[in-house]
Amino acid sequence: MKLRILLADDHEIVRRGLCALLQKREGWEVCGEASDGRQAIEMAKQLKPDVVILDIGMPFLNGLDATRQLLQYDPHFKIIVLTITDADQVIREALDAGARGFVLKSDAARDLVSAVEALQSRRMFFTPRVNDLVLRGFLDKGHAISRNEPPDLPILTAREREVTQLLAEGKSSKEVASLLNLSTKTVETHRSNIMRKLSLHSIRDLVVYAIKNNIIQIQMPPQPSAPTESTVA
Amino acid sequence: MAVRILLVDDHPVVRQGLRTLLEGRPQLEVVGEASDGVEALEKVNSLQPDVVVLDVTMPRMNGIEACRLIQQKTPGREVLFVTQHDSPQMMREALAAGARGYVVKSNLARDLVEAVEAVSQHREFTALARKPHAR
Repeated sequence: MKLRILLADDHEIVRRGLCALLQKREGWEVCGEASDGRQAIEMAKQLKPDVVILDIGMPFLNGLDATRQLLQYDPHFKIIVLTITDADQVIREALDAGARGFVLKSDAARDLVSAVEALQSRRMFFTPRVNDLVLRGFLDKGHAISRNEPPDLPILTAREREVTQLLAEGKSSKEVASLLNLSTKTVETHRSNIMRKLSLHSIRDLVVYAIKNNIIQIQMPPQPSAPTESTVA
Repeated sequence: MAVRILLVDDHPVVRQGLRTLLEGRPQLEVVGEASDGVEALEKVNSLQPDVVVLDVTMPRMNGIEACRLIQQKTPGREVLFVTQHDSPQMMREALAAGARGYVVKSNLARDLVEAVEAVSQHREFTALARKPHAR
């Protein structure tokens, strides 16, 4: 039987590259491709893939929240998250959310196939830095992973996090309502609950919160290069 | 004769994706890959490709700077930017640095082959995403 993989990344070029990597393996099949977290959830429910690969930085619903929602729907989903950063906080969140694999995008060519293999044989796969972090946390006495900041994420419900992402992406309450099939009034209630729970006072504050907590990721403009004349032959 | 192409992006997965889009076209040949601006300059020098497909954001030396140096040191190459920066300002900067083309990554499957062919014939090709995406 073929191993069926669902792939979610908002960049088609990245999906092409990942597909090429995965389909080199005999017996593996990419059964679906999604370009945002909401679509990924729909497709996963419908296709029931053996492995789900989710990029973290996706529009509408990020990969971490998609992981949480999918596992809430069915805890048997095997999920690998793809990330551009292995910052401690992102690793913690991915582990908390229940991902069984954590692969840096820059290492995907090397690690993704190993990660899928690991999940296939009921093991987990984490990029080496995650192992360091988990071990450090373990050595820090009993706590699975040490936490420097108060965990402010679980305060919001899954729905509220989804609304937070959409508002932070610049959508109006009306647009959010139509995307989530809710009334505008319900969205506005969510919105004021979110602001109250997080003690925020403006959409600007909300955007900052969303960036700090990896609900949305922003593109940084390129830094000017350091002078490199000497390194060039 | 086939158009000789150098692919420059810091993500191997993206290079693989670019390759997948270009391969199978007899008129196009990927002759090499580089993962940053500095390596790109070395490869341009040794491989003398017709077209350099360049990412903007890369470690060590970004694409804009690399493009400037490629035009200075080994003129006669055409540079096509392939980037996630869906920004007219960045596009102007790229063209000012000597690039002939600018394509955003979200539209690549549609635009890449056409863009490579256009710039290889010294025609300008630019394509930003149609809708600005609030991220």
